[in-house]
Amino acid sequence: MEITHKEESGILLVAIKGRLDGLTVPIAERSINEILERGGDRLLFDFSELEYLSSGGLRVILSAAKEIKRREGQVFLCAMQGYVKEIFEVSGFTSIIPIKDTVESGIAELQ
Amino acid sequence: MIHMQKESILMVDDNPTNLQVLFQTLEGVGCRMLVAKDGQTALTIAEKKLPDLILLDIMMPGMDGYEVCRRLKSQSLTQNIPVIFLSALSETEDKVKGLDIGAVDYITKPFQPEEVIARVNTHLTIHRLKSEVETQKDQLEHELKTVSDLQCDLLPEKLPDIDGLELAVYYETSRYAGGDYYDFSEMPDNCLGILLADAEGHSAPAAVRMAMTRALFSAYPSVPSDPADVLTYLNRHLCKVVEPSFITALYMVYDAHQQLLQMANAGHPPPLIYRASDGAVTTWPMRGLFPMGIDLYDHVPVSEKKLEKGDRLLLYTDGVTERFNPLREMYGEQRLIKQFAAGSAGNTKDILDGIIYDVEKFADGQSADDDQVLLVVIVK
Repeated sequence: MEITHKEESGILLVAIKGRLDGLTVPIAERSINEILERGGDRLLFDFSELEYLSSGGLRVILSAAKEIKRREGQVFLCAMQGYVKEIFEVSGFTSIIPIKDTVESGIAELQ
Repeated sequence: MIHMQKESILMVDDNPTNLQVLFQTLEGVGCRMLVAKDGQTALTIAEKKLPDLILLDIMMPGMDGYEVCRRLKSQSLTQNIPVIFLSALSETEDKVKGLDIGAVDYITKPFQPEEVIARVNTHLTIHRLKSEVETQKDQLEHELKTVSDLQCDLLPEKLPDIDGLELAVYYETSRYAGGDYYDFSEMPDNCLGILLADAEGHSAPAAVRMAMTRALFSAYPSVPSDPADVLTYLNRHLCKVVEPSFITALYMVYDAHQQLLQMANAGHPPPLIYRASDGAVTTWPMRGLFPMGIDLYDHVPVSEKKLEKGDRLLLYTDGVTERFNPLREMYGEQRLIKQFAAGSAGNTKDILDGIIYDVEKFADGQSADDDQVLLVVIVK
């Protein structure tokens, strides 16, 4: 698992690559918390290279989304693929965190 | 830190003068000193007194220091006692040999008293910390085992006896305690409520959330015959306590007279249905409702299906479909559907055994990361 992040005109762009599972969830949780501690209220997750996420992974994403909502900001989950998309749909998370087909469409909406 | 007993050091040397010097050197360390003049005596004292450290000469008549160390390391009672070799043999290969057979350090003679004291203190400290960590690890494992036992006590003691239904359950936790939970509610008029829930995470925190869900379900203020009401009620209370985690759940009510099954699903993997009429297995998807404990529900959708004689249902938690093999491939829903379809000729027990066998064969020795529940229902 690898997390990269950048800021583009006030939008936090966080890309998670690989597997978000029992082994990597604590690491991801720490990195995402650190990113959020620096401030910002517009967050975009890029899941285009996320291969798998466990229920612990869902919790990490949910916590980040809740934190952004507390700041009265906006969050989008973008470009999820195959199995990850399935997980978000089955678990009903897509009804609480909005999703976008591409990173570009997410950025466009947040600008 | 409280030391119940003074630490002790065993010194082994065949030369009385060497022992005398060593004794004087270590007097100030504040340990109880034990002495042995040959290898055999050293082993006897080590077993009887279990010293915290052994300073061992190599060249001794009879059993040499290497052999003493080997024997200490081969006994479970003495294998954790740190051994420091003290020897006039100063070649690198002698030192490597000593360390290879399990010594923690090697000091060459003639030695500097300050060096011996410093090394003895270091190894006593390491030994003490190691024992403390091990004790704490044992305590933690014991506590988790206790939580796990309590948790199993929270599961239904026996399966409900409903006319026209046959049931079987498989429940397995990972790392002792877990967050999976199932329960039944026998209602008037041959109706049965089936709850299957999965608290996110493992170990004690998940077990506590599981126990809370169980307590809430048993305190449900009326007959739990409306799936939407039951999940709304559980969610309302869980929202106050499980943040930032969540619990997925399925709640079903089966009316055996009408052979009608109603279901509400809060983010849980959809159950599988086998239809006797065409022998096909399909999932029963109901999407849109997020897990319990995150936010209040505006509306809980309920879906219903009429069942026929011979129809079968399989409810499961994601610990089953998310079992991995050593190649990090996942068992997955498709394999489960295939196995459920293949094994659907038997009774509930046969069906469960078939699935468990298939999952374990797939996992190929890779242990489970998550709890696993399988619940099979057959309409008779």
